[in-house]
Amino acid sequence: MIFITGPLYSGKKDYAKQLLGGITGPTFEKAAVWDVQALAAGCQNAAELNALAARLAENYSVVIATEVGGGVVPIDAAERAAREAAGRLACLLAARATRVVRVLCGIPILLKGEKCE
Amino acid sequence: MFTLVIGGAGSGKSVYAETLALAQGEKMPRYYLATMQPFDAECRARIARHRAQRAEKGFITIECYTGLAGVQLPAPGTVLLECLGNLAANELYGPAGGEKAALAALVQGVKSLRSQCRALVVVTNEVGTGGHRYAGDTLAYLRLLGAANRALAAEADCFCEVCCGIPRYVKGDAPV
Repeated sequence: MIFITGPLYSGKKDYAKQLLGGITGPTFEKAAVWDVQALAAGCQNAAELNALAARLAENYSVVIATEVGGGVVPIDAAERAAREAAGRLACLLAARATRVVRVLCGIPILLKGEKCE
Repeated sequence: MFTLVIGGAGSGKSVYAETLALAQGEKMPRYYLATMQPFDAECRARIARHRAQRAEKGFITIECYTGLAGVQLPAPGTVLLECLGNLAANELYGPAGGEKAALAALVQGVKSLRSQCRALVVVTNEVGTGGHRYAGDTLAYLRLLGAANRALAAEADCFCEVCCGIPRYVKGDAPV
């Protein structure tokens, strides 16, 4: 599994499509999953988060998460917890991934693994 | 040579971008494209102070709040544009309005500047890592700046992220 992360609107999905040979539509949706940071909030504990990471890594060749841990720490407790969980999920996914790429302004930065080009 | 410099608030991106512009602009005019609108006394004081600082470094200030493509440089030289985040807000919330028109204005504007100068340094902000739960049309701003950043990074010869005053190049090598 390849894990792709980066800020909002940084071009993560476009990069993933390119990585998978230019596929789009249902074929892309089968191979890749995105906005997984939003799934982390539904986990009650570390074990559930780990199970989520395992499930995503097993079912998809590319997993995409938006970085949400920057800026001001939210006042709302649930939002705080969701951000924290999103960060932890990203770490778990990165640990399972063969390659980790951070996309910044559309430019891929390799954080783990070997370059594909 | 076109260099795009990105960073968060207080990351040292401006100082680094100034250094880049100075080093590439020996023996030619240096222009500073200023984008901050003087809304109130605080803004005016800040602008005056920054102007004085730059004057010693030999920058000629050109003010541009919107419509960057309309800027004509008096003579070719080095340009420092600071910053794209300001310009994006001015375009999005300005009279012309709209994300699509704003994006075109930013991208065309930088293209036009580039065609007129020898070296161009554009400073932009990283604002996309704080989640998406924003009030009003802030998300439209994030989307606009994200799209502009992607378009410019694709065009740029060099692209770096500045963190704690240290630039890390993610595209090309440092121009100087």
